[in-house]
Amino acid sequence: MLEVKGLRKSFGGSEILKGVDLSIGKGDVLAVLGPSGGGKTTLLRCLNYLERADAGTMTFLDRTMDMPTLSRKDVAAYRRHTAFVFQSFNLFANKTALQNVTEGLIVARKMPKREAEERAMAALERVGLADKGSAYPSQLSGGQQQRVAIARAVAGQPDVIFFDEPTSALDPELIGGVLDVIRALAEDGMTMIVVTHEINFARNVSTRVLFMDGGKALAEEPTAAFFQEQKLERVQSFLRSLDRKEGEL
Amino acid sequence: MSERVLNILITSFPRILGQGLLVTIPLTAISFALALVIAVICAMVQIADVKGLKQIVRFYIWIIRGTPLLVQLYLVYFGLPDLGIALPAFPCAVAVFALNEGAYCAETVRASIEAVPRGQMEAGYCVGMSYIQIMRRIVLPQAFRTAFPPLSNSLISMVKDTSLAANITVTEMFMTTQRVAGRTYEHLALYAEVALIYLIFCTVITWLQRLGEKKLNAMNGGNVIRA
Repeated sequence: MLEVKGLRKSFGGSEILKGVDLSIGKGDVLAVLGPSGGGKTTLLRCLNYLERADAGTMTFLDRTMDMPTLSRKDVAAYRRHTAFVFQSFNLFANKTALQNVTEGLIVARKMPKREAEERAMAALERVGLADKGSAYPSQLSGGQQQRVAIARAVAGQPDVIFFDEPTSALDPELIGGVLDVIRALAEDGMTMIVVTHEINFARNVSTRVLFMDGGKALAEEPTAAFFQEQKLERVQSFLRSLDRKEGEL
Repeated sequence: MSERVLNILITSFPRILGQGLLVTIPLTAISFALALVIAVICAMVQIADVKGLKQIVRFYIWIIRGTPLLVQLYLVYFGLPDLGIALPAFPCAVAVFALNEGAYCAETVRASIEAVPRGQMEAGYCVGMSYIQIMRRIVLPQAFRTAFPPLSNSLISMVKDTSLAANITVTEMFMTTQRVAGRTYEHLALYAEVALIYLIFCTVITWLQRLGEKKLNAMNGGNVIRA
């Protein structure tokens, strides 16, 4: 459903993405793993054109696009099929939880207010926050804010949702609730690309794993194969270092 | 205080206050409203990086902030007629005050827009909104909360600065006071009186500012916490 070939991106002379390929089918959950600074977030931001790739082609829903030159209009059209969940939530600070979800529906998709609110309430219910519709982001915990952000993403009925380290900014005790919501989406067949450091989540929920290091995709394979038949020394040492960290705790 | 001075103060009070309500306040209100329009446009031009226009805006802000308000009033009222552009005193004062305050407020508004986290813009893009939609519905309302106290400051300054318009024959509060003082020679009492009226005007604005801030905070859920 979404296929990217030869994705490159530099910032001020240093190349962050050195030709990355990836491919996901409908219903896939692709976990993007790897050390910090490996290009995971930049990859995700390029996929939604928050950063403009220097090179690369994207095939989405049978349409092939040249990523560096895609017109603003085509980017907007593409974004109506996608959603993005940020590490720092980025809820609209001047809007209530419900308005955060309806804003895109009403303003960008021209949906009647009533219908948008019904759909938003359903989305908030899905993330367990039906009673927080009138709360402002500043009145919600980090975990609740992230769940509202997920409701906002889901409400647009996207074909694919991008998650950029959705639990990295959360208190440990709030992480579980957010991961549960993402897991439930996976069970409902939502296609997702999730940049994460939650290795157990990747192991249990994702269908495929992309391992990024030094701006390259060192591995892209089914989750079971990635964790059980891993041959690459670099990936093994990364996984060992995570085990060690968990062992120490 | 002698009975004579008291009498002068009592009879002049409604006259001075009347000019305040009829001239000083309308002059301030119209000029400040225009200044805000100028400020938002100039701030947007700078932030959206509109080529060419941005240089013009920087030039305008540089000129205005680098020259005295009083000199600007003289230039426009006494100077421009040499080029065949002669405006009546009141519109002339409005134009100068609006252009002057607009330049200062442009910087306030620009800084406030830049203080809104970039993630707000990105989140807007990701739900499919356009630049203009995000600006109008998400960024500017948040920037306005940040800009509100410094803009209130500017408004308070402007109330008092309108006294400079006396120099170009606008009969606002200060000129009215000067006339009474010139006739009665009670300078201390009369200038104290007009100072008190300015103080009352500014106190009301301060009070309105507090009210406005409370209201804006309520619209952001109690306090301003940035995502």
